[in-house]
Amino acid sequence: MNIYLLQIANGIGIGMLYFLLAVGLSIVFGLLRFVNFSHGAFFLLGAYLCFQVTDMGISFWWSLLVAPLVVGLFAWVVERFVLRHVYALPHHFHILFTVGMALVLQEAVISIWGPLGNNVSPPELLQGVVMAGGFVYPKYRLFVIGVTAVMAVLLWWVLEGTRLGSIVRAGSESTEMVSLLGLNINRIFSLVFALGAATAGLAGALAAPIRGADPFMGVEALGIAFVVVVVGGLGSFWGALIGGILVGIVQSVMSTVWSEGAHLMIYVAMAAVMLLRPNGLLGRPGAA
Amino acid sequence: MKQIAHFRYTLLAAAVVLLLPLVLTSGTLATEVLVFALAALGCNLLLGYTGLMSFGQGIFFGVGSYTAGVVLLQLKLALLPSLALAALGGALVALLVGWFSIRQRGTYFVMLTLAFAQMFYFLAYTMKDVTGGDNGLLDIPRPPLSLLGVTLLPTTSSWQYYTVVAILFVLVFWLLQRVVDSVLGKTLLAVRENEARASALGYDVRLLKLAAFVISGAVTGLAGGLHAMMTGVAPLSNIEYHTSEAILVMTVIGGTGNLFASVLGASFYVLVGNWLSTLWPRWLMLLGLLLIAVSLYMQKGLFGLAARIIDALRGSRNKPAETPPVTQEKHS
Repeated sequence: MNIYLLQIANGIGIGMLYFLLAVGLSIVFGLLRFVNFSHGAFFLLGAYLCFQVTDMGISFWWSLLVAPLVVGLFAWVVERFVLRHVYALPHHFHILFTVGMALVLQEAVISIWGPLGNNVSPPELLQGVVMAGGFVYPKYRLFVIGVTAVMAVLLWWVLEGTRLGSIVRAGSESTEMVSLLGLNINRIFSLVFALGAATAGLAGALAAPIRGADPFMGVEALGIAFVVVVVGGLGSFWGALIGGILVGIVQSVMSTVWSEGAHLMIYVAMAAVMLLRPNGLLGRPGAA
Repeated sequence: MKQIAHFRYTLLAAAVVLLLPLVLTSGTLATEVLVFALAALGCNLLLGYTGLMSFGQGIFFGVGSYTAGVVLLQLKLALLPSLALAALGGALVALLVGWFSIRQRGTYFVMLTLAFAQMFYFLAYTMKDVTGGDNGLLDIPRPPLSLLGVTLLPTTSSWQYYTVVAILFVLVFWLLQRVVDSVLGKTLLAVRENEARASALGYDVRLLKLAAFVISGAVTGLAGGLHAMMTGVAPLSNIEYHTSEAILVMTVIGGTGNLFASVLGASFYVLVGNWLSTLWPRWLMLLGLLLIAVSLYMQKGLFGLAARIIDALRGSRNKPAETPPVTQEKHS
């Protein structure tokens, strides 16, 4: 009994990380109307930047700043100077472009850091476990829940409470209308694309002490991000949150029941949601 | 005259089959070209003729490998029945994956095919009894080509095996060319061009897409089975995302909407990859850049480029009518 409660708590921890991974994908889709297949590669880059920072003896805390900034800047430059030219083409070419970019990033990571996985240890302050009553919970995971929760509130505030957010939401309804109102939608596109990439980079940095950094985690992360948005509904902030937590709990609980099939069950859960609610739990019909 | 036009691409494919032994020294490499050309043909039927971009072709390839591996190892079947079962396995799984995936359209559909690719990878990893898990299936035999117990062609050396694969390849190419020239093929093009309109005209779009999936799965499963016999192993990597990605990339680089383009794409991918990987293990980075360049500047792929060059050499203004135009559907 207790073990399941613990696994659910664990699942929430993983799920919040999955939320942070998927929310950027979802927001970018909402505005730019294309799914970024290099999102997993941004996550990968974030994890390796975290490894690089800690490996150089610089405190882990800096990596939480460096990873999203570098990844976000990279994405901004790519969007600003190259990606922009694909928008007029059919959506197959958006996908192919980002698949190509993901391949370049993955191979760049292997050339720089080698093909083998690397471990990243959490900062000393966050090593060990917290004990409360019968509950034992790793400190670092508690910290991850805290950071991702803060990020969730922050993102929600940006989307709902700021001028940028209202432009983004308006742009999700009609980009043409927004540009007719005299706003520079291209600048917003670059900014949102960079923001989406930065959240993936931060998720990668946060994930590194939990699962290490290896060159093929990008593809895995992309698959999981897709499951989260398919389960929750593409283009929806709350969908990403609920989808993320649900996927995290499924993975975590299944890892006690049938550890080898934990990853498999994520995808089975996705197929089940697809049968019951084809547009995801919170998705609107025709969103894609 | 019309008959010749239909046969033109099959003849070109046959020419490639005859050309490969002249320019390559390794029979295995030549076989690999044809195996992946088959897989790219399956992918092209979906992408070029039906407008479905599938990141799940590796599933069918892997299932074909495992099916061939299991029936060759456990049941000791002959070559043709094993390959038939590999194609059947690919078709059945394609039916399942297709049935789920085509419930969604556009980007959603593409994401689902990738998610299914991951699902089947983990499934293969979990089912260790059947697939051998991480190790894969080893020591898969390669029986000779026989019919009713009579041996027609041996497959011991790599060039002997190439001959068998080449015969099957030309046969499948010819069959697929007939499919795309048939009413079904033309209707699939209608689905690609304007799904709502095809549906309004009374076509069952879901059934058509599913039919394309099943044919594609069968061809890709066959390719997977041939690959398993070629290498003698059915590794976990055959069902990985990277196989799906590779099949899709060679299809796109070749160009969509013309079957022979996939032969070009697969030849380019396998031969250039084989050459570059000895020079620089990270050659996939160049491939990524090539993919970016293709999406930006060369959307009709190598085939489109070749057609443009031939056109320029002829000095004629009129465009060749053989390449159906790239879809300009708005992504909304």
